[in-house]
Amino acid sequence: MLNYAASRIVQTLIVLLVISFIAFLLVANIGDPLAALLSADATVNERLELIAKLGLDQPLWTRFLHFIGNMLQGDFGFSYRTQDPVANLIAERLPATVELAFVSLLITIAVGVPAGIYCGVHPNSLFGRFIMLISTAGITLPNFVVGILLIAVFSVQLGLLPSFGRGTVVDLGFWKTGLLSVSGWRAILLPAATLSTFQVAFIIRMLRTQLMEVGQSEHIRFARARGLSEARIWYVYAIKNTLLPVITMLGLQLGNIIAFSVVTENVFAWPGLGSLFLQSIQGADIPVIAIYLIFVGLVFMVINLVVELLYPLIDARVLRRQS
Amino acid sequence: MITSTAPLLDVRDLTVTINREGGLVTALDKVSFFINPSEVLGIVGESGAGKSITGAAIIDLLVPPLKRTGGTITLAGERLDQLSPKAMRSVRGGRIGFVFQDPMTSLNPVITIGQQLCDTIQAHLKLSGSQAKKKALDWLDRVGLPNPDVQFKRYPHQLSGGMRQRVVIALALCADPMLVIADEPTTALDVSVQAHILELLRDLHRESNVSMMLITHDLGVIAKMADRVAVLYAGRVAEISPVGELFNAPKHPYTRGLIRATPMPSATGEMRLDQIPGAMPGLGAVPPGCAFNPRCFKAQSDCRATIPPLYHAESSAFSCFHPLERVTA
Repeated sequence: MLNYAASRIVQTLIVLLVISFIAFLLVANIGDPLAALLSADATVNERLELIAKLGLDQPLWTRFLHFIGNMLQGDFGFSYRTQDPVANLIAERLPATVELAFVSLLITIAVGVPAGIYCGVHPNSLFGRFIMLISTAGITLPNFVVGILLIAVFSVQLGLLPSFGRGTVVDLGFWKTGLLSVSGWRAILLPAATLSTFQVAFIIRMLRTQLMEVGQSEHIRFARARGLSEARIWYVYAIKNTLLPVITMLGLQLGNIIAFSVVTENVFAWPGLGSLFLQSIQGADIPVIAIYLIFVGLVFMVINLVVELLYPLIDARVLRRQS
Repeated sequence: MITSTAPLLDVRDLTVTINREGGLVTALDKVSFFINPSEVLGIVGESGAGKSITGAAIIDLLVPPLKRTGGTITLAGERLDQLSPKAMRSVRGGRIGFVFQDPMTSLNPVITIGQQLCDTIQAHLKLSGSQAKKKALDWLDRVGLPNPDVQFKRYPHQLSGGMRQRVVIALALCADPMLVIADEPTTALDVSVQAHILELLRDLHRESNVSMMLITHDLGVIAKMADRVAVLYAGRVAEISPVGELFNAPKHPYTRGLIRATPMPSATGEMRLDQIPGAMPGLGAVPPGCAFNPRCFKAQSDCRATIPPLYHAESSAFSCFHPLERVTA
């Protein structure tokens, strides 16, 4: 188990280093920091001074090590667009996105998992077929359409929920949360539901396929031949065999929501990372884009690491494949 | 080994059909046999003869599109074919244990052996958790696994094939059934392990006096284990005889063919191996009359016209119009 954990962590670090290098190349090769930082009437001396200050006269490797060293000290560089430290820009937007992702994951688990199990256990039932029909819509409808539909129904027609913003935000010092106020919860429901539409549909379909396959297996037949109750067979013996792919997908989807909820955040004017990313692309703000890239890599790698460290708790066979 | 007591299991005219593209195809055609208390009945036949289907049909575990469509199954006076699904569940594992063929696939890979045993025990016996665990440990010991405490916590992938099959046997027997159906219990194992597993089954049978239905294609296993033997061919019973009589004086030409097709050294030390010409008809391709007639050297016009009924002799039964004489065996 320790070996397994150590090898996973080392792999994660290596991948992060590679991502950092790619992001660094982006900063080093695209755009002109001098043009962005110097005023139009700067002298040659000022120019050389800045070059020396930014270390642009150093070889590539030295600059990369410098870049990594700065990052480890919390210095992520400055935005070309706003001149603010990138760290501040991201820290400002992060809570909104993380809370949105968290609530949409909760919805996914609370709705998708029971519905998926139902469809897997009763694939031919009327209700099961009905769920599958609805889930087809969830898979095929693009996020912005779902978002606009939800706004049209719940905000415009029924006037129940707000259509934009985060509601009242409580500042905890290190984290600005919308989850401590009623208006914050009301505001997060529609965007979270929008984001989870696809995930719910996806989890339902995956659980159903997995369960139907496991249900055919010889060990489930043997469990039946031993007279175990259907409830025990499905909810313990079969489910446990489907958990590995399900938590893998849930993890990847969580990363997806945190990193790429651009469209949904735009539809609901949600002040999260997605809108920051969009603004940075429009403004060719390379340092922010580069750090964002590393951040996305970090999010995926950490989620993946957690998921992989969960594997042995579910299926001890993954440890054997290691050795 | 024929006793005068009432049979423990009595199967009459068991019929199983498969629904295939509109047409019904018969997979098991009016199979009848009985098993006496503490008796081992061997079921032999080629692949596809209906051996496994017979076993699965008895505990209502047929995989669709296979479906039981006729006949009666009586276990200790109770009609199993009329039980509700819920009552049938208590029969499965409780009164009839089932040993599966392949220990590599028949154990749940993500649940410990101890948990699988305890769940099975508690599904049938009213025992507390600790009593069930004690019984599970006891069974691990009885099937010959060293250090039951250690095995209890292990997962199937941590055991060898032979050890897993011992676990499968413990799982089938742990709720003290009156009948065990063993479906090819040694087929998936190495030859050396096969002998150990057979020995274990025989020992457990002697200790507990449980009745056994042993499904196999291996006549060697039959010779070692069975009291009586039912030979199946194309979904029908060809012959049922006490094991000695079956080998020494088979009545049905197919039985003799099957015996001669098994490699056995003769008195002079030569290996004799005669194969039966042709192949067993597949599902839905059974010829009219006796299913064996196209391959039978004794076949006559009546064999091709009508299905021979099961004739009962004193200790055996056979379905053949022209049974072999004792001298020809």
